Amino acid sequence: MIELKNVVKKYANGVVAIEDLSLKLNRGELIVLKGVSGSGKSTILSLIAGLSKPSSGDIVVDDKHISKLPDHFAAAFRRDNIGFIFQKYNLISSLSVAENILLPLYPLNLPKEELEPRLQEVLNSLSIEDKRDRKVKDLSGGEQQRVAIARASINNPNIILADEPTANLDEKLSLAFIKMLEGLKASNRTVVVATHDPLFFDLESVDRVIEIRDGKVV
Amino acid sequence: MTLLVALVATTLFIADSMKAEYKQDIQTAPDIVVSAQKALRYKTIDETQAARFLEIDGVSNAIPRVWGEYYFAKGNVRFKIVGLDEFENSTNSTLNRLRDRLSYDTNMMLLSPKVKAILNKNYYKDYFNFILQDGTLLRVNISQKSIAIPSIRDEYLIVMPKELARKIFAYADNEATDIAVSVKNSEEIAFSARKIAALLGNAKISIKDDLIVEYEQMYNYRSGFFLTIFIITFFTFFVIIYDRLSGLNSEQKREIGILKAIGWRVEDVLKTKLYEGLIISLFSYSLGIILAMVYTFIFNGGILKNIFLSSSRLLEHVPLQFHLDYATLALLFLISVPLYICATIIPSWIAATVDADEVMR
Repeated sequence: MIELKNVVKKYANGVVAIEDLSLKLNRGELIVLKGVSGSGKSTILSLIAGLSKPSSGDIVVDDKHISKLPDHFAAAFRRDNIGFIFQKYNLISSLSVAENILLPLYPLNLPKEELEPRLQEVLNSLSIEDKRDRKVKDLSGGEQQRVAIARASINNPNIILADEPTANLDEKLSLAFIKMLEGLKASNRTVVVATHDPLFFDLESVDRVIEIRDGKVV
Repeated sequence: MTLLVALVATTLFIADSMKAEYKQDIQTAPDIVVSAQKALRYKTIDETQAARFLEIDGVSNAIPRVWGEYYFAKGNVRFKIVGLDEFENSTNSTLNRLRDRLSYDTNMMLLSPKVKAILNKNYYKDYFNFILQDGTLLRVNISQKSIAIPSIRDEYLIVMPKELARKIFAYADNEATDIAVSVKNSEEIAFSARKIAALLGNAKISIKDDLIVEYEQMYNYRSGFFLTIFIITFFTFFVIIYDRLSGLNSEQKREIGILKAIGWRVEDVLKTKLYEGLIISLFSYSLGIILAMVYTFIFNGGILKNIFLSSSRLLEHVPLQFHLDYATLALLFLISVPLYICATIIPSWIAATVDADEVMR
């Protein structure tokens, strides 16, 4: 379970991104955070992932106080529990598909025999096995998005966070992406999507749509 | 970085090669060289003077030398002819070895590889006809033995018995180019030189110290050119390092942000950057050294050597001898590899310690 308790996030320039926000997200839920640009959706994802720390309040994920974790442990927490899908995919363009997907696992120094089956599994599940050695810069937007999903799921995380995942995709590819998210939800993962794409709002698979405005739940 | 290492290494290799050559020349040079002069012009010296020098206390040896240059018009080249005597010891061990390989009862000469190639090209394979001063020809047989040259300045060397050399230069039987004098105690060289000068009046006496000064001028060791190139190169290198230290570009910052967002710790990022810096800097260092070696010793220093030898009269076209100073390699390593690694690690560390969220924004 993910719980945000009276979270405030104020940036150094004085901008208040999140103002006294409290939320509870249950395991296995597909949650959509809805709101216009600058409403604070991405900041919520960043706080849940431990990428930034709240100015006040507490964030608890599976009984871990993420907001109080030192940077070293926050990184380990992300590696073990979080899969992050970014709006612009945030892949490393100079690396191949396989290298990008395996990035989260490199610090673990796992043997090749262990990495290869995991890589093969995600490549197959996302139908990109034929692209494994291609540089990501040579892929289409839809293919890059799949690579981003593969990277987010290679460490088998409990929580998938997706920030405006369909912003750069057409409707067909967006629907395909939603199918993939549903697949992740079906495997009992918590999926949180920050988006203003209306495609997400009426989906049966979405458990809750939470509207965020000016850093608060509406 | 590769080009900078190559540039600095080339300047150092050229300097080292010349320094080694210069040291070797100084070591094998006679303590005193006595030449005769007339109207402040060099002329031949009477070789019987050598016997008078030997009477001076401290003088251990005095050898009349016959040497000079011969212009070969077809090749547009000047050969350096050195005449050797079967029973005379030179201060130069290479010349002594050549002396032992000469045949004194036949009209025969030994040629440096370069001279041999030039004569071969002009169809002189077994003999060569020297044109004497009276216009007649002197046929001298070419030895097929290959020889090592004593110094880089002896690229166009021909070694032959003294008598033959005298004929070519039109010297009389008692005439020599100069007299090389050895002194037992190096502290007494200047003193012995003064005594010789007193014996001969207007002779030109050169001692080893004079040679050192002449070489220093010739090689331009401390010249502004060398220092300018060296300083500019180092300055450029440090500007690049400073530029790297002053921060990463947005793409590099974004990459570090991505790595942190997917669970990399600061130490994971730094470890990767360390390996990356190590591989790049070692590769650049090695490639730079190889390029410098190729440029210095295969392409003979190119433009850079000419800058070093700007005031040289003799060394413009001579090859640089291969000489590698490990201290130079270590110096180049220290100013390139660790600095580059620091310049890679420090900005990455700064970026990696900031919130990934902030780095990516």
